[in-house]
Amino acid sequence: MSTAAIGANTLGVLAGCMLFGALAGAVGTFVLARRRALVADVAGHAALPGVALAFLAGEALGLGGRTAWLLLLGGASTALLAAWCVPALARLRRVGPDAATAVVLAGFFGLGAVLFSIVQGHPAGSQGGLRTLLFGSAAAMSRAEVIALTVLALATLALLAAFFRGLTLVAFDEGFARTAGLPVRALDLLLTLLLVATVVAGMQLAGIVLVVAMIITPAAAARLLGGRIGRVTAVAAIIGAATAAVGTLASRAVPGVPTGAAMTLAATAALLVAVPLGHLAKAARA
Amino acid sequence: MNAALAVDLPAIAAALLATLACGTLGNWLVLRKEAMTGDAIAHAVLPGLVAGFLVTGTRSVTAMFIGAALAGAAAVVLATLLRRATRLESGAALGVVFTAFFALGVLLLETQGARQVDLDPECVLFGSLETLFYAAPADAPWYAGVPSEIWTLAAAALLAIAFSALFGKELSSLAFDPSHARLAGRAPRFVERALLAVVSAAIVASFAAVGSVLVLALLVCPALIAAPHARSVRGQIAISLAAGCVLAAGGYLVAAHAETLFRTRTAVNSAGMIAALLALAVPCSHLVRSFVSRRPA
Repeated sequence: MSTAAIGANTLGVLAGCMLFGALAGAVGTFVLARRRALVADVAGHAALPGVALAFLAGEALGLGGRTAWLLLLGGASTALLAAWCVPALARLRRVGPDAATAVVLAGFFGLGAVLFSIVQGHPAGSQGGLRTLLFGSAAAMSRAEVIALTVLALATLALLAAFFRGLTLVAFDEGFARTAGLPVRALDLLLTLLLVATVVAGMQLAGIVLVVAMIITPAAAARLLGGRIGRVTAVAAIIGAATAAVGTLASRAVPGVPTGAAMTLAATAALLVAVPLGHLAKAARA
Repeated sequence: MNAALAVDLPAIAAALLATLACGTLGNWLVLRKEAMTGDAIAHAVLPGLVAGFLVTGTRSVTAMFIGAALAGAAAVVLATLLRRATRLESGAALGVVFTAFFALGVLLLETQGARQVDLDPECVLFGSLETLFYAAPADAPWYAGVPSEIWTLAAAALLAIAFSALFGKELSSLAFDPSHARLAGRAPRFVERALLAVVSAAIVASFAAVGSVLVLALLVCPALIAAPHARSVRGQIAISLAAGCVLAAGGYLVAAHAETLFRTRTAVNSAGMIAALLALAVPCSHLVRSFVSRRPA
């Protein structure tokens, strides 16, 4: 991958980033409403073992370690497995949801650390490898990876739009959703799928460790500004897209800054602006 | 000294001391259902550590400790303020604050050249147990060659055990019956804050050697491994430390000798191996318990 190729693709990368930011903001609105913020954290960290396995599998099959669709598939499988493990573990006596979250996160990320060190010791892993996946790097994304991100993000957004009403009802009024005969468990599973798809779509950009920030922080900022669910989702998507763009450009301007860290700080800045704005809006309505 | 011992012994000692420090206090966090608070603190202290390093220009333990403690306290206060201002669930408020702090720490590390020393973002996550080694000093007593991380960890382990022993009664009543603790006037606020401070100290001391993933695993897993087998808090702490130490030493040895055991090209990350084993032991321990209790007595 040459620097000239990245230069020619800058606009494509930026568009991909903004699409991911919009998706993360929109999905984040539902993740926050359903109180799944820490599951988003688990899903991000738990993608690491799957990604590392996919890298090794890609090398073994002669496809090359950084085969975009293989990495997405690997990351999504372990992230989903972890999301399933959290409630299963929480059902054990004296464990509870909080401790289950911590155990699953530590276990999957620990396994990820072991596999990551195997990848870094692999001849193909020592150059390039997966190091940029920890904190994200827009500059290290290949053309195929940007295309995979765009396709996955568009498909996830379409799915979110198609089930918007059902997801809204389950998130805000579970009792009503049940009596109205909505398949609450299936819709919860759908939300988990959307969350995992968002995490793996963004992992090369925002990084496995910090991708959770792009899901919860813009959505938290949008919620502060208030309004009905449709408006909050749209505002979260706009804040997400804007902070993703700012983060990507900032990480390009200052060498050495990981894209995920820059995006997270941009999203936090948006939240800090939203706190007083939200209070003003509330005062104006009253 | 034998070359393998000079590498393996300090790493195992560090892992065991981190188990004693984090594992002891983790029992209180788990009983109080605050497991993820430990994770949040482990991420939030990073900018303070790096700032302490940048201000003094050396890896001075004191400066890094002060910086980390300030950052940890600031994060906890900010998360509380944010929760009040936004009515977010506590997990989301914590998540917003600790990712922001961690991102700031990564930014400082990558831009300010602190990574030229042996603090880099990968060590922060996965630890650097592999880089601890004992160099026998030529004209100094034997203990001069022990890496400084070991002394810091030993102090943190002592502090954790002493705190749990001194305030065991107060911590138990806070964990099992907070409203009674308040009524009985066992200074719950003071003990709560002191617990947070001691947990932060244990995290900061363990952080550089074992990384954030193993810190989290050590805070929650030993307590949960012990929970189904213990009849008292004291018993739970004892079982958790025994199980934690066995898994920590075993995990390190498996990872360090992966080349011969699994024919990998290099040794694999030992902090990750220990964390994965600890997490796996939690459901296994519960399975063992339900199997044992199903058998007729």
